[in-house]
Amino acid sequence: MVYAVEVEGLVKRFREILALDSLTFRVDEGKIYGLIGPNGAGKTTALRIISTLILPTAGSAAVFSRDVVREASEVRKLISYLPEEAGAYKNLSGYEYLQFMGKFNSDDKRNLKTMVEDAAAISGLGERLRDRVKTYSKGMKRRLLVARALMHKPKLAVLDEPTSGLDVLHSYHVRGIIKQYVEKHGVTVLLSSHNMLEVEYLCDQVALINKGKIVAEGAPAELKAKYKASNLEEVFAEVAGLA
Amino acid sequence: MLKGLGNVVVKEVKELMRDPKILIGVILVPMLMFPLMGLAVRISMQTAAESIKAMSIGVIDQDGEEYAQNLTNIFSASNLTVVSLTATNIEQAAEGIQESNMTAVVVIPEGFSQNITDDKQATVHVYGVFRGTGIAETAGPSTVVFLISQFSEYLALGKVEGKRGILNPVLPLQESIVKGKVVSVSPSVLSSLVLSQYIGLPIGITMLIVFAMQIAATSVASEKEEKTLETILTMPVGRFTILLGKLAGSVIVAAVGAIAYVAGLNYYMGSFTFAFQAQPGIDLASIGLAPNLTAYLVLGTSLFVTLVSALALAIAVSSFAEDVRSAQTIVGYFYFLLFVPMIVLMYTDISILPLPLRLVLLAMPFTHPMLAARASFTGDYTTAVLGIVYVTAFTLAVLYIAAKIFTTEKILTMRLRLRRQKLKREE
Repeated sequence: MVYAVEVEGLVKRFREILALDSLTFRVDEGKIYGLIGPNGAGKTTALRIISTLILPTAGSAAVFSRDVVREASEVRKLISYLPEEAGAYKNLSGYEYLQFMGKFNSDDKRNLKTMVEDAAAISGLGERLRDRVKTYSKGMKRRLLVARALMHKPKLAVLDEPTSGLDVLHSYHVRGIIKQYVEKHGVTVLLSSHNMLEVEYLCDQVALINKGKIVAEGAPAELKAKYKASNLEEVFAEVAGLA
Repeated sequence: MLKGLGNVVVKEVKELMRDPKILIGVILVPMLMFPLMGLAVRISMQTAAESIKAMSIGVIDQDGEEYAQNLTNIFSASNLTVVSLTATNIEQAAEGIQESNMTAVVVIPEGFSQNITDDKQATVHVYGVFRGTGIAETAGPSTVVFLISQFSEYLALGKVEGKRGILNPVLPLQESIVKGKVVSVSPSVLSSLVLSQYIGLPIGITMLIVFAMQIAATSVASEKEEKTLETILTMPVGRFTILLGKLAGSVIVAAVGAIAYVAGLNYYMGSFTFAFQAQPGIDLASIGLAPNLTAYLVLGTSLFVTLVSALALAIAVSSFAEDVRSAQTIVGYFYFLLFVPMIVLMYTDISILPLPLRLVLLAMPFTHPMLAARASFTGDYTTAVLGIVYVTAFTLAVLYIAAKIFTTEKILTMRLRLRRQKLKREE
């Protein structure tokens, strides 16, 4: 069986700091998989390795059976990565930014146009897309970036804290879009979050990470039942030994 | 292989050209600074020229005889407005003069004409009037002194019955030898030309490279500062393509800046030509001092490869910086590669330096366009072409290193490492 993401014994060491300690998980195609855990747990490091940005110290990671180290350029054609602290080119307009990024995924002008139109709709920024990015609020910028990440319907969208810095309304909008893209276009999503409610709402499967290791994995409902918890926050506290 | 290059280049140019810092610092300032400086020179020269035309001088004629009258007539004939002052001495006249527009006062003492008739040395007092209104004030007395010396020479010629040989027994006739050919141009005229090339060109080249490096440093560092680098590095586009796109974008913007710079400088230099009315009749090309087509090609190529090497160097070193400000600081550490050859070559010829120093200078890539600039006037193209080959090799080596940085995780982990260390300290 081909998994959208297959991570096996992943280790990442930054000098004396062990960021990932033999991480193993698999993501089925067309599902939303969430990595949850506190700051510094290793979520971003795992996503960066899967997105071909940094190299693992040991272990392997593959996207649709393409190795992220040996076949990095092939993996980049399949994925779309949204970093937690991403920005957009402030001197370009929203439209210009979407067009610039879109051109990497499509040579066909008509296809590009459709992509940008889709992105415009996802972002909900309307006429403001004609303005330069530097005039956008944090929420507007994040919506533009989420739209960019989903507009070409990647096989795998890697979203690091997709609603980071957004208020309730913007977060609600972004979550709706992610869910809709998975259902409508079969996009697989691997996301990280420390917002347990968001994860519970969005994810089919979750992995709870602490200190670079998975401490629990399963569907949110399963985990809650297993640990007799009313939400994932309680599950995390239980497995991390905080309860 | 370089799919997506055009897309990256267009975006780079847009981003850089729309950045107010670059637009102002790299394009508008050189474009406006030099013309404004030129305009200032032009205006002040024009004002000075006009004030000389309308210059008024006062004369206190205590002699009242023939030669005193002749001298006054010479002043009037030279378009000076001559005001006869009724005061009997300069102290009396001085107070009122400050309120007038007179720039000089000439006092012709009693016995002036008699002394001339008796073949004795006659004296004239010239007082410059200063009100602190600018450099044009010096023009009054110097014009008067010049006219007096002309008058003196005229009188002397009359006394020796036109025999100039008695007045000036030896007259040096100055000419020059350029590239083995005798040309009838005074060395002083040529030396001012040579000076402008030896000083002006290295300064011009240095400034051009400095701002090009600033652009390139901004180009990579702003991706980190604005948090766009990670996203673009995960796009299906070769990292070498991104690097080349950044380089090409910087080259284009630097070229626009260079044109603005040259245009501004040209206007600025033109204002001096206007002011001093460059000696007519000197055809620089015919005496071999103006660069010909080959020279321009060699100089242009040398400048271009050096510019690319500077940009590649700036991109490579600024990859380690966290933000634009630190990138520009890091790039600044490399300016010695520019300033050392600039200063050395301004004052001396590389061929007379001791061998080790010469080798050190030649190893600096930015020495070569300055040598090429000189070669374009001396015709020694071998040095210039060898320089181009060396700088090209240097550029390729730097590009290779920059590409290595771009294709590994170093470009990101430098920041990661810093963050981790910070976190650790906090713990």
